[in-house]
Amino acid sequence: MSQQGISSGPEAVLVRYGELALKGDNRGEFEQALVRNIRAALEGVVAARVERAHGRIFVFPEGRVEAAARRLQRVFGIASVSPAWGAPSTPEAIERAARPVLEEAFAELPVGRKVPVRIETNRVDKKFPLPSNALDRRVAMHILRDDDPIVVELNHPELVLGIEVRAERTWLFAQRYPGPGGLPVGTLGRVVCLISGGIDSPVAAWMAMKRGCEVLYVTFHSHPYIGDNAKKKVIDLVRVLAPWQRASRLYVVPFAQAQLAIKAIGQDEYRTVLYRRMMQRIASRVAAREHAKALVTGECVGQVASQTLENLACIGAAASLPVLRPLVSFDKHETIARAIALGTYALSAVQEPDCCTLFMPRRPVIRGKLEVCETLEARLDVPALVEDALARAEILDLTPSGW
Amino acid sequence: MSAFVYLDHAATTPLAPEVASAMAPYLAAEFGNPSARHPLGVRAAQALDRARAQLARALLVPAAQVVFTSGGTEAANLAVLGLARASRPRHVLVGATEHACVRACTAQLAREGFEVERIALAAEGGVDLDAFARQLRPETALVAHMAVNNEFGTIAPLARMSKLMRARAKEARLVVDAVQALGKLDCAASELGWDALIVSAHKLGGPKGAGACVFARELAVQAIAFGGGQEHGLRPGTENVPAIVGFGAAVERAEAARARNLTHVARLRARMLEHLRALPGLRVIAPGEAVLPHILAFSALGAPAEVVLHHLEQRGVYVSTGSACQTLSKSLSPGLSAIGLGEDEIRRVLRVSFGAETSTEDVDAAARALLDVAHELSGQVS
Repeated sequence: MSQQGISSGPEAVLVRYGELALKGDNRGEFEQALVRNIRAALEGVVAARVERAHGRIFVFPEGRVEAAARRLQRVFGIASVSPAWGAPSTPEAIERAARPVLEEAFAELPVGRKVPVRIETNRVDKKFPLPSNALDRRVAMHILRDDDPIVVELNHPELVLGIEVRAERTWLFAQRYPGPGGLPVGTLGRVVCLISGGIDSPVAAWMAMKRGCEVLYVTFHSHPYIGDNAKKKVIDLVRVLAPWQRASRLYVVPFAQAQLAIKAIGQDEYRTVLYRRMMQRIASRVAAREHAKALVTGECVGQVASQTLENLACIGAAASLPVLRPLVSFDKHETIARAIALGTYALSAVQEPDCCTLFMPRRPVIRGKLEVCETLEARLDVPALVEDALARAEILDLTPSGW
Repeated sequence: MSAFVYLDHAATTPLAPEVASAMAPYLAAEFGNPSARHPLGVRAAQALDRARAQLARALLVPAAQVVFTSGGTEAANLAVLGLARASRPRHVLVGATEHACVRACTAQLAREGFEVERIALAAEGGVDLDAFARQLRPETALVAHMAVNNEFGTIAPLARMSKLMRARAKEARLVVDAVQALGKLDCAASELGWDALIVSAHKLGGPKGAGACVFARELAVQAIAFGGGQEHGLRPGTENVPAIVGFGAAVERAEAARARNLTHVARLRARMLEHLRALPGLRVIAPGEAVLPHILAFSALGAPAEVVLHHLEQRGVYVSTGSACQTLSKSLSPGLSAIGLGEDEIRRVLRVSFGAETSTEDVDAAARALLDVAHELSGQVS
């Protein structure tokens, strides 16, 4: 691929990122994190050079430009990406380069009518001989032919031919793929997500990542009351989510001993709340060990009987860190729609018990009281149960299941 | 002594060492495509012929009637769909406790307009032969029934069923799923009276990825897949030579030791039952007139079988709850409900299945573990 001549296909990916986040003092940090995350996303898939330049990031893949652009649609912090064609920064070269860029974009539009097009030049190199609107006109004159399905339309274009004129090279593009928005993962620090095999917690983890949190996962596994397929299901879910951040660590915490101890108290209706309080404690300890600043759960107000405000208060009180609940206001169908889009739904929908029927109370408490929880727990050696579970936890560093 | 006691042979069996040796050259130097015309290809074709002959000798059919497939499920599809679609009559009878692959195939026939009826069971859970005789009609196209049930080991009275068919449903084909029976019972066409037999390599010491649909003689069969004409056009696609070679070797090995293994396994089953008598409320699930000793299904403990299974795995004993293919779906085993078990009991049914290499020590260790688990869980079931 020549860096000198007019390219015969897209040779770079132009990455735009959210403007709002740029206003603070942490702009440089933000950009560095984004570049790091872009490199990590492309690693092993596309060999690519990544460069920051004037409020944009340019990715130069060795081949597979389209695949690289599509992959970047799953990097948080990116507003949109465009596969870009290169040309030498002279008016003659630019006008010649414009035509094939538009033609490729046309291929995806319905035929048999005139397509309204606008040309938009951004002159980063102020020494370029023509002002932006003059270059727009010149390129338009060059590409418009009588038999063409193109009309120039400034106000409501269907296609925008973007031209970025830079000193070293000019970039042309007509396609824009939306990015996921949000903030680069890691810029807000680390959180611990309590993940089960259900539909909700993977979506909650994704939403935390979207807001710049690096997510570390904790799952609770009641072997030998449930089988290793339940653990595998959680691993599979984490691996589906793994492309969204650079590294995904999962703690698999053995939980049968804690459940047996809680069951032995004999207060059936409080069992579920007490299980969950134990989970919050263990997750808080994992967070401390891993320097995480908050917990994330898939909890939602009022979705199941245990998710009353009273029960959420009882459960949250056992955590020693703030508990983020990104799904708090979601209806089930909204969560399901996100899970489908993420690709976790099909896995979550596989029926695999995540709690043994022997541990499920017949009638769980609806409005739990914190004093009751604490009185019941006084009969347990809570710190010993927490430390024992943590000591036997299995730590897995997981890689993406697809690309 | 291995690290675990494997009592799940009805799900799959370990690859026999001599089978692995037979396969080894075809995973390495002998990589030819059996359709190729150079010596490497010819040798691969000869290897397929040997395996075909090994299977044909065990089943007493012409070698040309053996169609190798990827396994039991594909063979069932070919037998059930291929024979029914090629027949004029449109009535189909299917066993009440068939494996999911046969049930799914007859369900497909129902969608295609066939009248599909379930074969009646007698009160004790075996085929009701009188009722079966009445279900047969001159326009019956196909009867599909397993030789040995995979969940509780019941041996079907196939010889008597095929005789009833000859008199009452002259055009009907008998399709027999012998996946659990091959290498354990005499499955020869002359003995069981089948028209098409479904078999799989990995249940008798062979590898996964090979099976066969075997016809008793030249029959009209419609292809269900299309391609390069391999396996008489009934199973197109380049053959899985190493797995098929392993299948042939496994069949020959199992047939040679069949009588001896049957005696051995019957002793194991009796010994296991002796141990299990100590369990309160033991109920052996053995419907019908005879069961294959390789499979022992029972319910005893109050705890769900799934919980017992995982407690046993913790003690290094691997067993099963019902059919392995169904553990992922929440639906209860249709076979166990067909023989009259209630939902609670179905959830408590464990299946242990023995193989030729299972030892009495394995059985003793498994029984000890089971009694130990029963003791541990007795306090937790409320």
